[in-house]
Amino acid sequence: MKLEGKAKMLRIHFGEDDTWKGRPLYEAIVERCRELDIAGATVLRGIEGYGASTIIRRRHLLSFSADAPILVQVIDTDENIQRLLPALDEMVSEGLIAISEVEVIKYVHQHGQHPQK
Amino acid sequence: MLTTGPAKKVTVYVMEGQKYHGMACYAAVLDYLFFRGISDATVTRGVAGFGTDHKLHTSRLVELADQMPMKIEFVESTERVEEVLPKLTEIAAHGLIDVQDTTVINPAADKKRPQPAPAKLQSTAKIMRILIGEQDRWQDKPLHQALVQALRANDIAGVTVYRGILGYGANRRMHKDSALSHDAPMLLTVVDTEEKLRAFFPVLDQMVKQGLVVMSDAEVIKYSHAALLPEKEEKP
Repeated sequence: MKLEGKAKMLRIHFGEDDTWKGRPLYEAIVERCRELDIAGATVLRGIEGYGASTIIRRRHLLSFSADAPILVQVIDTDENIQRLLPALDEMVSEGLIAISEVEVIKYVHQHGQHPQK
Repeated sequence: MLTTGPAKKVTVYVMEGQKYHGMACYAAVLDYLFFRGISDATVTRGVAGFGTDHKLHTSRLVELADQMPMKIEFVESTERVEEVLPKLTEIAAHGLIDVQDTTVINPAADKKRPQPAPAKLQSTAKIMRILIGEQDRWQDKPLHQALVQALRANDIAGVTVYRGILGYGANRRMHKDSALSHDAPMLLTVVDTEEKLRAFFPVLDQMVKQGLVVMSDAEVIKYSHAALLPEKEEKP
């Protein structure tokens, strides 16, 4: 896989409790990204926030029902990001999806250490 | 403000477990000095010692390890020292307080620091995102930590490290944070001018052996820190 020059960064914001077919939505999105051969995805968990539903999401210590804000960040070529959008449309029912421009400075992996797909 | 020349050095000795109005004595002393605008103060925790009670306190005994001698030192002008001494005597009622004559050679004021003022960020800057794994290392050190140190050493305006909970990247390997594996995806966001970030690329090249680095435009709305403020006020 090669990624260089201009690329796109897609960011999806939603809540940790959001699900897709019975499993966490962020897991389902990362899985789908891999199926679609997207260069990479990273899931970050926020500590506080609010969004479209204007419910303050906050993670409490020792609390199990914490709907923390989740950010999934995907970086790939414009073409691949466009390929991902229909899937996201279907999966993300409540949240925010934003795309911005990025310039790829470096995209490297160590050959041999981990089998390439 | 402390100036060069004669001054007083005050040393207060208390025990770690001593309380003043429910809070640790040394913390009460430090708080008082801080909010009284004393230039600087240092608290040192001793490893062994004894006081007027003639009980030996040492860190070798676990049960006494929270009973270490604490030393609070500060240097100020004679007037300021006389101003704070009554209250200090009250807080550290069981401790020893001594005052010595001293000479200030270099008052550690912010504006005297020879280091250049931190970068003034213009309204247009770049935001660089570095995506690596938690297990990545650089010279026996976690890579994200090494990167932060390298960025700092290169006078880059700022960096924030985020620890992700799930992700995959260039090597297609899934990074998942769990209590056992500690292999979370890491995201570093770095903000500075394009020029300074580009100057950092060679260092980055050498340190990041696998991962993704991207850069995008950012508009700087605010970049300030406390030490810069008085300087700004003096300028006009």
